[in-house]
Amino acid sequence: MKFAQFVMGPAGCGKSTYCAIIQEHFKVAMRRTCRVVNLDPAAENFLYDCYVDVRDLISVDDVMEELDYGPNGGLVFAMEYLSENMNWLEEQIADALDDDYYIFDCPGQIELYSHLPVMRDLVDMLQNEDFRVAGVYCIDVNFIEDASKFLSGALSALTAMVNLELPHINVLTKCDLLPPGADVERYTDGDTQAILADLRKSTHPRFRLLNEAFCQLLEDYSLVSFVMLNREDEDSIELCLAHVNHCIQYGENLEPKGNFDLPDEMGEGFEGFEGFEGFG
Amino acid sequence: MAMETSSSELKIPKSPVVILMIGMAGSGKSTLMHRMVVRLGSSSSKVYTVNLDPAVKNLAYPVNIDIRDSVNYKEVMKHFGLGPNGAIMTSLNLFATKFDQVLNILSKRAGELDYILIDTPGQIEVFNWSASGQIICDALAVTYPTVICYVVDTARCVKPVTFMSNMLYACSILYKTKLPFLVSFNKIDVIPHDFLMEWMEDFEKLGEALSRETSYVASLSKSMSLAMEEFYRNLRSVGVSAVTGAGSEAFQKAVQDAAVEFQESYVPFLREQRRDLEEKRQAAVEEQMRNFERGMDRAKNKRSRDGASIGELDRLGEDVHNLTIEERDDFMDDMD
Repeated sequence: MKFAQFVMGPAGCGKSTYCAIIQEHFKVAMRRTCRVVNLDPAAENFLYDCYVDVRDLISVDDVMEELDYGPNGGLVFAMEYLSENMNWLEEQIADALDDDYYIFDCPGQIELYSHLPVMRDLVDMLQNEDFRVAGVYCIDVNFIEDASKFLSGALSALTAMVNLELPHINVLTKCDLLPPGADVERYTDGDTQAILADLRKSTHPRFRLLNEAFCQLLEDYSLVSFVMLNREDEDSIELCLAHVNHCIQYGENLEPKGNFDLPDEMGEGFEGFEGFEGFG
Repeated sequence: MAMETSSSELKIPKSPVVILMIGMAGSGKSTLMHRMVVRLGSSSSKVYTVNLDPAVKNLAYPVNIDIRDSVNYKEVMKHFGLGPNGAIMTSLNLFATKFDQVLNILSKRAGELDYILIDTPGQIEVFNWSASGQIICDALAVTYPTVICYVVDTARCVKPVTFMSNMLYACSILYKTKLPFLVSFNKIDVIPHDFLMEWMEDFEKLGEALSRETSYVASLSKSMSLAMEEFYRNLRSVGVSAVTGAGSEAFQKAVQDAAVEFQESYVPFLREQRRDLEEKRQAAVEEQMRNFERGMDRAKNKRSRDGASIGELDRLGEDVHNLTIEERDDFMDDMD
């Protein structure tokens, strides 16, 4: 059994930074390697060590130049090309062993999830290769100015996720940039009454029934798990990772690697594991 | 034409109506915009058009204000070492910092106009999940009746999961913009949208269609039925074909209805929010300029390290500083 995160989110949300943060955390705090695969043919540059890069197969730059496509057409073409050449990717990850951990940095465009089968096909392929996959949707916390935008973010994430049928977590990135006094926890804590009260203030009265219906949904269905990520705070990173790993049950049967004299340090990375509500 | 007064009273005149065309790539947004420009124009309404897509190659409709005239997205890509996505975002950010100029131009023309149609970038997230998209949306909504027109590719919605995704995303936009919402089911010349109306009216039918494909989404959809029913009551929808012109009349009527809804419901509500919105907009514009400057510094540092000249960047910086947004001359001749 191998493990993977499928990292998604709109342009500028900090997806690639997230991948780098998690990779670093694995290396430093857990002394394990996690392999990051770039699946975005329009990616610019990486902050992480890239194990596999789809741009070695095809890049949007090349498509745009050679076929005279615009950026959207280029991306769709590149992703469809990847889909048709899935065995290339299979070969690149063929050396994955049990307990290996991969992170897939995915393109942001929502059309790739809602309208095209390619992202779903990728997930299916991974699951066929014995990977347990969790979806991670990144949202820039600074856009979550009120309950209405919070709900908007959750729905945006759900749009991508319904097509993948994966357990998923929403990560609020860039929490280190939050202004003092910002209180985003009132939304992420899952207190639907607080969210509803806020919605009443920030939306027009005609939305009343709609707000109530959505809050009921939030409560009943555990639709959305949100985790805040502050890259400057080790605890925040650990907690975030623990949430994601709980979705894929990573770490429960882990073989200790490396130095057998350090069992205590190994335990640190899995603190706080118990007692979290995973995706229902 | 009475514009907003400087007192705390927020008065938004009844016209022109701003229509923000939003939709996923391939939905036929720009084609629909073209169709509507022709249709509304021919029914003796005066239409003004703004293009906010910095990367589009060819536009079929006549444009009054075009972001491409003020910001060269390829240059941005080159000078900042960005990929196409980053360049589109940065271009829109730059344009948004000067949006006051657009408002000034619009206010001069407003007296003669009935509709202002705004085409947004092909990548929907660039507008929805960016500070610049928000700046632009808010700036328009406190000045003119503003309506969101969400364009959907009817043919793709034959797959019920795609329809569900589309509607979830529409809901996301509704909560983000909080403006009157009009869903245009486009391409009804390819496939009529009756089945979609059926799914919206009877959630069980959608559930059945979904369960034939996936049990997970079907069960999610069932839980969401109440919320989605409410959602459908909060929006209006029309079936259109940008290609044949079918549904244009219904579209026009729906826009008018949405504008009335704006006046009756949103203006009083916006009145309260207005000062907050203005302050936020100012702050957001300043933040964008700071981001741009940081980007410039990074690019300059990189160039210095590589031993390349930074003259081009300095010039770009100046261009941005002096960026003026202008109308295109040729089209305006027909207006006068």
